[in-house]
Amino acid sequence: MLLILDILTTAAILFVVAIGLLAIFGVLKIINFAHGAWLTIGAYCAVVTAKLGLNPWAALPLAFLVGAALGGLAERFIIRPLYRRPLDAILATWGLGIVVGQLITLGFGRDVQLTPNLLPGTVAVLGVDYSAYRLVALGIALVIGALFALTIERTRLGLSARAVIMNATLARSLGIDTTRVRLVVFMIGAGLAALAGVLLTPLTSVDPNMGVSWLIGAFMLVMVADASFLALAAACLVFGAAQVLISTFVSPILGSIAVAVLAALVLRVSPKGFSRA
Amino acid sequence: MLDTVPAAERAAADGRPRLARAAPFVVAALAAMALWVAPLFLDTFAVNVLTRSMIYAVLAVTVDLLWGFAGILTFGQAAFFGVGAYAAAMILGTYGATPLGFSAAVATALAAPALLGAAVGWLSFYHRSTPLYASVISLVVPIVVTQLIYSGGEWTGSSSGLVGFDVLPFEIEGFFRLAALFLIAVTLAAWILVRADAGRALVALRDNEARCAYLGLNPRRLQILLTTALAGVAGLAGFLFANASGVVAPENAGFLFGTELVIWVALGGRGTLLGPVLGTVAIDYLAANLSGDLPFLWQLLLGTAFVAIIILLPGGLADLVRRLWGVLPVGRPQGAVPRLVAQAPGSAAAAPDAPALRVEGLAKSYGSLTVLENIDLEIRAGELVSLVGPNGAGKTTLMRCLSDGTEPFRGAIAIGGVPTRGLTPNRIVGLGVGRKFQVASVFESLSVADCLRLARAPHDGLNPVGQDATLGLPQAALDVLRMTGLDRLLAQPTRLLSHGQKQALELAMVVALEPRLILLDEPTAGLTKAERTTIGAVLKALTAELGIAAVLVEHDLDFVRQISSRIVVLHQGRLVLDGTVEEVVGSELVRTIYAGGVHA
Repeated sequence: MLLILDILTTAAILFVVAIGLLAIFGVLKIINFAHGAWLTIGAYCAVVTAKLGLNPWAALPLAFLVGAALGGLAERFIIRPLYRRPLDAILATWGLGIVVGQLITLGFGRDVQLTPNLLPGTVAVLGVDYSAYRLVALGIALVIGALFALTIERTRLGLSARAVIMNATLARSLGIDTTRVRLVVFMIGAGLAALAGVLLTPLTSVDPNMGVSWLIGAFMLVMVADASFLALAAACLVFGAAQVLISTFVSPILGSIAVAVLAALVLRVSPKGFSRA
Repeated sequence: MLDTVPAAERAAADGRPRLARAAPFVVAALAAMALWVAPLFLDTFAVNVLTRSMIYAVLAVTVDLLWGFAGILTFGQAAFFGVGAYAAAMILGTYGATPLGFSAAVATALAAPALLGAAVGWLSFYHRSTPLYASVISLVVPIVVTQLIYSGGEWTGSSSGLVGFDVLPFEIEGFFRLAALFLIAVTLAAWILVRADAGRALVALRDNEARCAYLGLNPRRLQILLTTALAGVAGLAGFLFANASGVVAPENAGFLFGTELVIWVALGGRGTLLGPVLGTVAIDYLAANLSGDLPFLWQLLLGTAFVAIIILLPGGLADLVRRLWGVLPVGRPQGAVPRLVAQAPGSAAAAPDAPALRVEGLAKSYGSLTVLENIDLEIRAGELVSLVGPNGAGKTTLMRCLSDGTEPFRGAIAIGGVPTRGLTPNRIVGLGVGRKFQVASVFESLSVADCLRLARAPHDGLNPVGQDATLGLPQAALDVLRMTGLDRLLAQPTRLLSHGQKQALELAMVVALEPRLILLDEPTAGLTKAERTTIGAVLKALTAELGIAAVLVEHDLDFVRQISSRIVVLHQGRLVLDGTVEEVVGSELVRTIYAGGVHA
């Protein structure tokens, strides 16, 4: 039972961390290596919220807004000139991540920051005492997933975004403002990354480089999901399960590289990853 | 014998190489002398830091060869460096400073990373692999290696690394000189390679991997070889690092170090050699001096500079220098132009008993959409068969199935009697097939002469250390060049050619392969009337005089009528008509398909 809960909540956390990256990769075809920095930005929004003495949950909307606003700037000045050079965009966003990390260090110092737990304590689930926060995180992941799906399927923005995914040139010639769609999607993706950063604060220490360790896992999941939202959910479940099982039964160190290695092997066998299923 | 290079140019081409060939050695010797005496004038701190910087610069050269020249963005060189360093430290720790210990350490520091490199190369490069996938793998490798080091316990020293192992009996000046000589040797070798004809193959891979495969080169093998060799070089750098510093740590193998290498190369100037070398030494030296006083600010400046360079100046600082140099009124050296010579036909006498191409029951579908159905076709040497049909008839799909055996199709295709199922394009080219694409597919950053030389590489090989003064081509390819005037543009970079010239160049490249079967997808699309007539004449000569079989996809029925020996009509994925020019052009069916009648 404990194992199943671990798997479900691990998958949920991976999903929350990766979804912003997926949105950007799907529409912009750009891998945002500054994703880790945006996770960090979100976590520091939680730090700021705590310093201001606000309710810890207020960090969620704050992080989304800050992340989206900064994301808008990054898209305009760094991503937009590089649409035709996707490999260079990886490098430029990585450089941006370094800059953000150093700015945070200059502002807050390099030490680990303490944040108030969003939801302390445990709950008894089917005979096991389990961290209440991890269960809430699972719920939040489901909500974010549902909202994301609704946006894609039911809104005008979602329709435009799907059109840009399928054929950007055609979408433009049909009068869709692809530049604006990309900007908005990048802002949403960056906002979601910052949101995920807040949600990570109870689970991990907050320091200027915290995002980097999550970046590679999220990146590999997105590669395997190949811009498909359901495939991402499936990939998170499968690789999350692998990570938990390997960490529990073999070794935590091997567990920590399980996602990256398995995803690389899956891509070798089937370049489209999970999205074909 | 065709000799179109004007006498003055030829003299230049003969005279220049001697100087040009000597230049790298002269520069290397001067650099070696300067660096040999440098420790006498530098303080201990500078000597120590620069020793490390020069070892890192060796890594930068390997990253640059992979990324700047061959187009493989890699973060993995750090892992190979780390494996080499750890191998050296572990072996020297066990066997001590004995001759056996050192030779075992060097050998392992070279072999272990090279083996790992071969495995990584095999994983990264396969038919239809993407450049992004190779980068993904190169990210995973350092992460895996680092985690293995962490979990190595006493063996690898876990997170604290290894210290206190025996090292080479040198003073710090000795290590400085050793690092300098190693850097100069590696840079010199890289310089010779990229200037040589073989170096063009790297650039060709970066420009257009598909074209490489359709010239019969094996892109996969080249990429794996390069990865393996450069992993070995990185491992040797690791050996030197372990000896010079006396410490190895997990960070030496890490992904962050891998990204730093890429940053140095990008700032220095990818695609040049001196740029990354000087960039790495300068940045690492500055970092050592500045990061003590203002650690975060230094990182911030470096990150900002990196972003700015990637966006605004992809060629790095070396490109800036070159542009400034270009402003100065100094004569720009023109690339040496090889002399064209006619090559005697190689294996001209092909087995005439098997048909050049036999297709039986070919069918292909994408899901429920059937694109080709039950195609039977046989083409013999000397035939020029035109494939006509409206858009969407399946012509291009058929061409793709003919030239790539890994396409999923049903039925059987045989080239000269050999079944092609499962064969990658480069192996089908090896059977004597040449394919010209619908959109001219050449190497944009190479010269006309280099493109042609690559087309001859499967036959004649490539000079790995220098530039050959002559370029041997079959007479037919020379004729194509002469008729289209390309023989006067040999030094021209292909990106400056007109659309028609690119088409002609690609045709010349395909002809230079000496194929027995030539597949042409709309070779005259977008050409002027005059260019079309030229290409028609070339094709007639190839088939009638040399006995090459040709399959031509074409929309221009007038053109088809003039040059074909047979016409095959495809309609909605089926072969509806196969006959002589008169039969097909006069047929009611063709008029119905091309509604309105082309020839009414």
